[in-house]
Amino acid sequence: MLTTEARVDPARLAAIRAPFEAFGGEALDAPVLQPLSRLLDVAGEALRARLFVVQSEQAEEQALRPDFTVAAAMAHIGSGKASGRYRYEGKAFIAADRGSNAPTEFLQIGVEQFGAPPDCAAEDAEVASLAWAAALAGGRGDLALRLGDPGLFSRFLKALGVAEAHARRLMRAFGRPGAFEAELHLSKAVRRDGAGSRLAEQLIRASEAEAEALLQEIWRLSGIQPVGGRTAGEIIGRLRERAQTELEPKLTLAEADLVARFTHLDGEPFAVLDAVAALAAEAGADLDQGLQDWRRRLDLIAGSGAPMSAMRFTTRFVRPFGYYDGMLFEIVSPQLPEGEPIAGGGRYDTLPARLGGAPGAIGCMIRPGRAVEAGR
Amino acid sequence: MSEPSGSAPLTIALPSKGRLKEQVEAWLTDCGFKVESEGGERGYRARIGGLPGAEVRLLSAADIAQSLDQGEVHLGVTGEDLLRERGGDLDARVMMLRALGFGRADLVVAAPQSWIDVETMMDIDDVAHAYLVRTGRRLRVATKYHIQTRRFFADHGIADYRIVESLGATEGAPAAGAAELVVDITSSGATLAANNLKILSDGVILRSQAHLAASLAMSWTADQLATLTRLMSVVEARADGRDLCALRWPSDQAAAAELAVGRYLDQGATRRTDGVLVRRADLFDVSAALGAAGVGPVSVTRPDYVFSARSEAVDRLKQRLGR
Repeated sequence: MLTTEARVDPARLAAIRAPFEAFGGEALDAPVLQPLSRLLDVAGEALRARLFVVQSEQAEEQALRPDFTVAAAMAHIGSGKASGRYRYEGKAFIAADRGSNAPTEFLQIGVEQFGAPPDCAAEDAEVASLAWAAALAGGRGDLALRLGDPGLFSRFLKALGVAEAHARRLMRAFGRPGAFEAELHLSKAVRRDGAGSRLAEQLIRASEAEAEALLQEIWRLSGIQPVGGRTAGEIIGRLRERAQTELEPKLTLAEADLVARFTHLDGEPFAVLDAVAALAAEAGADLDQGLQDWRRRLDLIAGSGAPMSAMRFTTRFVRPFGYYDGMLFEIVSPQLPEGEPIAGGGRYDTLPARLGGAPGAIGCMIRPGRAVEAGR
Repeated sequence: MSEPSGSAPLTIALPSKGRLKEQVEAWLTDCGFKVESEGGERGYRARIGGLPGAEVRLLSAADIAQSLDQGEVHLGVTGEDLLRERGGDLDARVMMLRALGFGRADLVVAAPQSWIDVETMMDIDDVAHAYLVRTGRRLRVATKYHIQTRRFFADHGIADYRIVESLGATEGAPAAGAAELVVDITSSGATLAANNLKILSDGVILRSQAHLAASLAMSWTADQLATLTRLMSVVEARADGRDLCALRWPSDQAAAAELAVGRYLDQGATRRTDGVLVRRADLFDVSAALGAAGVGPVSVTRPDYVFSARSEAVDRLKQRLGR
């Protein structure tokens, strides 16, 4: 079922739009139809259930744009410029669950900024403050700013000295309740030993070329025809990595405990940062730079309008279909259901590189329909 | 729910082609029914001899799943894999009345055999992520079973993959370079192996078989329900007939015999005059117990049918229909 949202009063809409206009940038006219395959490559197959898919007889499948970020990134990469700032306003489309009456077609206003930032904390604060100002213009008096940073967790793991393969698994499970706890539990457990470790040692000692030749021989001897898009080097690389982690010390109980405590931190931002600093000190890990950046970020955001009392930092905070890898945020109201933020955004430095561009990106968007209280 | 009236027939969708068609006809014939097609061999409508009040539509297995889902037929025989692929809360729209024991096939996740570092879905999670990082693209999964694939991958927390539409032979997609993984139906795994693929150790999404299923989206008249009751009672009676055997002892030894089979009566065997109905699997145990008690001679016959007064499946359906 297709449902539109109630129209926002033009004066109110202009007030919500004003901070975005002040931010400036090139007005982006993104096509309503976006290539389905690119959207799914960026956000994952789970997004498909949320998309309106359109197909003509000739062309590849397209989807009604669920947001503007990918379109903005593509436009920027296409421009060939090192940095760029884009502003957009238009309808986006997201399918609702069966039986839900959430609007499937809604207005969205946002900005995206590409390029390596001269001052990352300042740029982050500018974008978060812009979203706050716009949300405030919507007229709700009960806004809260939720903050998080998956990058901080990844730095924490690195500072702890967690083996890279483990750290990656933990990072991936980060946003999934249950999965993360399971993963953490697994990394405490003693993995298989003895059997297979001779091969493991050989794999590690062998040069890459020797290891690949070994795999080719295994294939040949067992009559396996290699198919699928992974190279022998990739397969052998993973086997070697796994062999390596089998020989390496796993997460100690103390380390697993530190990781678990880190992911439970939630509350007043400065208090959370202090707690992170205490954990890092306990672990003998150096997180000073990251924490210092965050303190400055918070000061800057507070300096441009959002009161500290409205801010909350959650170490475990992630956004659905997120490609965020640094600061991320949502502006929420207790009047709205969980999972329906008024505005949101964050840093997604690695995404442009995946689409063929240079790293460095941040953006935010607001849904004016949510920013305005019903009946006003 | 009010009872619709009228004399419209009970519509039953049966497979129109292939191995499933043969198996369904063999099953109905074994029950004592006969599918009589109207308008020659290639007709798309039929009747069932022995079941007046029913009209058969011959459709493809996938169309049967759709017709049940959308309330275009009352009953249908099709694979659970196809029904589950209708998505959403299927159980709110279709009720499985009886698993039929044929048309068995597993819906599985298969990966290239050459990936000797991959054995489980957790490996896939790892590999998918590494592939995304290396290529900027997601691992491709060729399948016709989008909905079950998506649900299964989500349950395993795997996000870094893409479903690609498979036209034609799904299992050939990796060799053709169109995908890395395959989600497909297999009965022996032989076709997958022939395509250099292996089933993941925890990669069975569904163990499917043919089901007799009822549409909850359809309106049911009292007559149609009565026709269904007749069909189900025969189907269940035939299945029970195959599963049970009747023992008979000399009437003057009834007291000793009843004592000897007492524990089987407690386990669900049925008492009858000068005898008992037991599961075939229990036959030799029961006859040994009778022999030990000095009861004999005991004759054993295999009934063609064992009719019951009630059908649990029909009761379940009536309850859901509010009747």
